[in-house]
Order: sequence, then C-alpha cells, then structure tokens
Amino acid sequence: MRRYLLKRAGFALLSLVLLSLTIFAFVRLTGDPAVLLTEPGASPEDLALIRQQFGLDRPLWVQYGSFVAHLARGDFGQSFYYRTDVLALYLSRLPASLLLATVAMAFSLVIGIPTGVIAAVRVNGWWDSAGKIFALLGLSLPSFWVGLLLILFFSVYLGWLPSSGSGSLLHVLMPAFALGWYFAAAHMRLTRSSMLDVLGSEYVKLARLKGLPEALVIGKHALKNALIPVMTLAGINLVLMVNVAVVVETVFAWPGVGRLLYEGIAARDFPIVQATVLLGGAMIVVVNLLVDVLYAVIDPRIRYER
Amino acid sequence: MRLRGLLPVLFVLLLVAAVPRVGAAPEGQLTWAVHVSLAPTWFDPAEAPGIITPYMIFYALHDAVAKPMPGEAMAPGLAESWSVTKDGRVYDFVLRKGITFHNGEPVTAEDVKFSLERYRGAASKTLKERVAGVDTPDARHVRIRLKQPWPDFLTFYTSATGAGWVVPKKYVEKVGDEGFKKAPIGAGPYRFVSFTPGVELVLEAFGQYWRKAPQVKRLVFRVIPDEATRLAALKRREVDIAYSIRGELAEELVRTPGLTLVPAVIQAPFWIYFADQWDPKSPWHDKRVRLAANYALERKAINQALTLGHSKLTGSIIPSNFTFYWQPPTYGYDPARAKQLLAEAGYPNGFDAGQYFCDTAYANLGEAAVDYLAKAGIRVQLRPLERAAFFSGFKEKKFKNLIQGASGAFGNAATRIEAFVASGGTYVYGTYPDIDGLFREQAAELDQKKREAILHKIQQLVHEKAIFAPLWELAFLNGVGPRVGQSGLGLIAGHAYSAPYEDVTLKGK
Repeated sequence: MRRYLLKRAGFALLSLVLLSLTIFAFVRLTGDPAVLLTEPGASPEDLALIRQQFGLDRPLWVQYGSFVAHLARGDFGQSFYYRTDVLALYLSRLPASLLLATVAMAFSLVIGIPTGVIAAVRVNGWWDSAGKIFALLGLSLPSFWVGLLLILFFSVYLGWLPSSGSGSLLHVLMPAFALGWYFAAAHMRLTRSSMLDVLGSEYVKLARLKGLPEALVIGKHALKNALIPVMTLAGINLVLMVNVAVVVETVFAWPGVGRLLYEGIAARDFPIVQATVLLGGAMIVVVNLLVDVLYAVIDPRIRYER
Repeated sequence: MRLRGLLPVLFVLLLVAAVPRVGAAPEGQLTWAVHVSLAPTWFDPAEAPGIITPYMIFYALHDAVAKPMPGEAMAPGLAESWSVTKDGRVYDFVLRKGITFHNGEPVTAEDVKFSLERYRGAASKTLKERVAGVDTPDARHVRIRLKQPWPDFLTFYTSATGAGWVVPKKYVEKVGDEGFKKAPIGAGPYRFVSFTPGVELVLEAFGQYWRKAPQVKRLVFRVIPDEATRLAALKRREVDIAYSIRGELAEELVRTPGLTLVPAVIQAPFWIYFADQWDPKSPWHDKRVRLAANYALERKAINQALTLGHSKLTGSIIPSNFTFYWQPPTYGYDPARAKQLLAEAGYPNGFDAGQYFCDTAYANLGEAAVDYLAKAGIRVQLRPLERAAFFSGFKEKKFKNLIQGASGAFGNAATRIEAFVASGGTYVYGTYPDIDGLFREQAAELDQKKREAILHKIQQLVHEKAIFAPLWELAFLNGVGPRVGQSGLGLIAGHAYSAPYEDVTLKGK
C-alpha cells in the first residue's frame, strides 16, 4: 500500500512538473506581452524597458529557473497587467468560481440525475430519446451562445434577472445554468448507463420478486448504487467547473478564476496564465490522487494490480 | 441530521457573501460598462504605458500641469501659465494658488518636480535624456531646463507621456509605489473609493476641485468584457454608458428607444501600407498601382457598414487633431480610374497581389478592403493575425505585400512620421531620401512656423508618392442611457472616453 501511494504521489508530482514546463513554454510561444502594453508606434526603447521590467530580456532557462525557484516558495510572481501578487489575485477570484461551480453542479445534478433515471427506466422509449437529445444539445451547444440567449431572454426581454456581474443569488443563476447544462448532459448519460447496469443486477431482480413497489426498487435499491460512479464523476467535474468556466465567466462578467485566465491570455500576462493553469492543474491532480487512493483503500485488488 | 442538511446552504450563503458586490445605481451615481480590464497601474501616471486607455482613469483621479481639454490641445491645468526662453532651453511654469490633493495637502512645485523625475512610463528615456534638471524657486514656480532645444518638449510633457500628471510627493514617499497603487491620491475631480482588480472601480466626487465641483457624486466603472453583455446591461439600465458597441450591435443600440449612440473619433488612423514599394520587381513599386488601390476602395461604404458612418475618412496616417497635421486631399471611389491605372501599369487583367496582413480585432475592415481591391482586379488574400503577433511581425519586418497599419499613440505629426515614414522608424520598410532629408531638417528647427512648413512638405510628399492608402480615423462607438445629461464623450478631440469628468452630468440635476 505504501509503495502504491508513493508511486501515485510521484506520478502526480511529475504531472505538475511537466505541466509547469509546458505552460511556461507555451505562453512564451504566443507572443510578446510588451507589444500589447504599448500602442503601435511605441519606440524600441519603450518596448525594451517593458521587457526589462518583467525580466523577459533574460534567457529562457534563466526565466524558468527563477519561475520554479519562486514557485517552490509559493510565489507565483507579480501580474504584468495588474502589478499585484498573482496568488492573492487568484484567491480573491476563487470564492466567485466556487460559488458558480457549486450552483452549476446543483443544476447539473438536479437536471442530469432524474433525466438519466427516467431514460434508463423507459429505455428506448420517448423519454430515453428526449434525454439523449437533451444530452447532445448540452454537450454540443457552445456555452457563450447559450449564455447570450439566456441574457437576451431572461434579462432583456423578461427583465427577471441581472444581465451580468455578481453580488446576489440572482446574478449566479444564468451563468450557473449555462455552465451546468454541459455537465448535466455528462451526468445524465452516466446515470442512465449506470442505472441500466444496476437494474439488470440480481439484487434488483430479487427486490422485484419480493413484490416491492417499483418506485421503491428504483428509488432506494437501484438509484443508491447507480449513483456511486455519478458522484465520483461529479466530484471531479466540480473541480473542472471551478477551473474551466472561462467563456461563461467572461460572457456574464462573473469575477471568477476563469475570467482571470481570459484576462491573462488576452494581455499575455504570463504569471496569471501560469498560476491559473498550474493551480487548476494541481487541483485536478490532487483530486485524482485522492480518488486513486480511496479506490485502493476500498478495493485491495487495485493496489496489487497496479 | 437536519444541521448536516443545512451545511450546503450555509456554504453557498458564505460564498455569496465573499463575492464582490455590484449594487443598483442610486441617485447621483453614473455607471460605465468598460470593455477592458482596469489595471492598478492606471492609477499611477508614472507608469503611463503610452496607450490611451489609462487616461480614462487619469482624467478622474489626477490632474496635470497642462493637458488636452475641450477645444484645446494643451490647456492650462495645475499650471495657470508657462513661458519658454528664446533659446528654447528653459520652461517656466506657474502653479495655481490654493489647489490641493484629495488628502488636503497643497499641490506644490516640489510635487511637480517629483512627478517628472519619478516618471518611468512610455518615452521616459527620451524625456530624461533631454531634461537637464528641474528647479523649484518657490512653491508655485517650476523651471525645467533642457540640455538642447527640443521643439516637442511640451507635446511630450503634456500629452505624449504621463510625466506632467502630478502626484503628491509626501504621500508617495510614505506609502511607496505599491501602496500608492492600492490607495491612490491625486488632484483630480474624483477621489479613489475602492477597486476590485478586473471587476470594478468606484470613485467619489472631490468637491474642492479647482476647475469646478463635479456634479455626479459617484462614478462606478464595471468591467464587462463581452460586447453583447455590455449592450444588454445598458438596455436594462444596469449601466449608464457602455463603451465600444460596434457593427450590428451598434445598429441594435440605435433602434432601442431611450438609448443614444455616441461616437468619439479617436486619434487612431488606419491605413494600408504598401510594404513592397521599394522592391523594383514588385507591382507595388509602380506608383500607378498604389494609386489604383487608393481609388479602388469605397471608404464611405465601408465606414457606413462598420461604424455606421461615424469614422472620419482621411487621406493621412496622422490624426487630424495633431500639431503640424497637413490636410491632404482624400481619394474618391473611382473603380474605372483604378482599372485604367492598372492597365497603364501593365496589368489590364489585374494581378495576384499576395497577402493583406491585419490585426484580427480589425479583420472586418481588412475584409471590406480586400473585397474592394478584388473588384478592381487586385487579388489579395486576407491574413488576420492575433494582435501581439501582428504588431511583432510588422515591427520585425516579417510581412510582405500589404499591411493594415494603425496607431493610437500620442504625439504630433513628427512623432508619427518618425515611427511610420522616416528612415529607422519602428514600422518602416523603406524610405525616400527627400523625406529623410526634410525629417532631419525639421528635428533641428526651432522656429515653429518653419518647422511646420517642413512637416507639411513631408506629408505632401507622402501623399504624392502614395506610400499608403489611408482608410479612416476610427470612431469609437459607445452607448449612452437615458439618465445621462452630458456623457463627456467626444468633448476632448481624439480622446476615446468620457472626459473631463467634472463636465459629466446626470439629467435634471
């Protein structure tokens, strides 16, 4: 078990090192931030001054060494654009992203689980087809388009909800729905397939033979077991929701981590992009590590097989 | 068990409390929907990066020795007057009596000196290399000594840099540069209240402002990156002024009762640069081909389609509000003449002209230009590049054929010619000896009239040689809601944003 844990932790650490190297290299391939911080027509001296201020005039390996050394001390650097500590900036945006992700997850589960259950119970029927179409739309409609339609309908035409910004539960409803729909589709599909597995199991057949009401068979005996993989996926999706809501947060001017990443990319703010990607990556790696460890604790076969 | 059930609800409520708040607009408040993320560096004039955007905030928080104001390119600000010695080496500024910063401290000559010496933004090297020293004979007098006569000194000091914008010396020394950006204090019409990076800036009227007390009590700048969302917020009256609403959304704005489209023509001309004109093998080497391209473009229709006719058609790459600007004749749309010129140049069936490089943000302008060129027989392929990549490539002379150039940089005709026309300029792919000779001549000329004549001559030559196909001076389109009396948009020539803020009003107030 100890060897297994060390191996998984080693892989997690290696993933983070590779991620740091990749993101460091990729942001630098995208262009020169000095050009975006000046008007066209800026003198070469002004551009050189900006590069010098941000340490971009040093060789790449020196920049990477400095980046890793600071990272080891928990220092993600100063934002080029905001000229403030990137970690503090990230943490100031995190509560908004957590709130959005929590409400979006609630939407996705409230929508995804019942539709998945109905689709499994009425397999190949009308409800199943409707559920599949719903899932397909959720996965394929771009969230910026869904977001703009929601704004147009609920904000401009009906006047029920604020168009953008933050500060109340009303503000969070539209962005959470736009974000949650995509994940609801995934949760619906998994619930459906998991329910189909469980509904064909021996204990469900026994429950039915015992004459238990169908609602009780589905609601108590089948659903509880079918939800285990759904909850695992939901846990991982929650972390994803915190980190990938770039478009939704930008459309709704929601002050979260996703919008911070958008601002970082738009301004070639390397420290912001590096920090948001690395911290998001770290969250995902840690959650995956915890899941691996939990599986190993629950099921001894896993730790011996791997 | 019940308590456990309540935990998620409590968690959500805690998160709601932690999220930055944006409230409904009370009386005496104007809210802007801003298209770009506000940065704390824009609170400190010492770091002015040479782009126009920070002046959106400078005009509210700070004041300058002199600055562009309505009807005046260089209006007295904190200085009530100034004079220059005959040899052009010493400038004397006299500060107004009784003016104070937001913390009540008086604005003194020491603050002016400190601000100039502290300045480290765009063109700071140029400025500091030429300034020999700053003297403060008393609290109201500032004397700036130059190493050599520099005809553009006032342009650089009052508009092309942030060096003339004054910050309180004692306060900055007390709190440091970072502390200043967190809680800036200035001498402008509005004082700092709060800032959430990338989200919102709140300012409050400073009643003791020397020019006049602002009428609107509170200004809120909300960052809304998406254009359609900005328009939705304006329609719902969540904001009063929305910056940058373009194309079809601008048409929708015009159709919406109660909303007004207010354009501000900014000091940002756009043009097509014939980068191959110095290559004798290129078709673009022939002036007739360059003229044909100029006659092939229906600028009026492009303007109508993209900026609802509000951009200013121009025949120059220099903004019309700049000092030493010369008004060239504009090219009319004449496709027959374009085809005739091409035939005379040996291309009766047109020719494949290569690529047309542009910044993706203005690819719509490029698309329209490419279509009109194709109608005349100049077949060119649009190559939109992401902004940073585009300007890097432009600067490093990586492009060929046609380049869609643009600039919103401050300065005067000479500074634009230096960057885009004269030998050694950042974006110059080739030069002409007569233009270079005149450019060197004007740089040493102290007599303003003579210098103006030389700079006019250079602009005439640029026009005669058809070095560029100028397109327009861009109109920055904005939406204004029904509560606004005076939006401040377009009051200062060439300025993109609302200003001066002390002139901004609410209706019925």
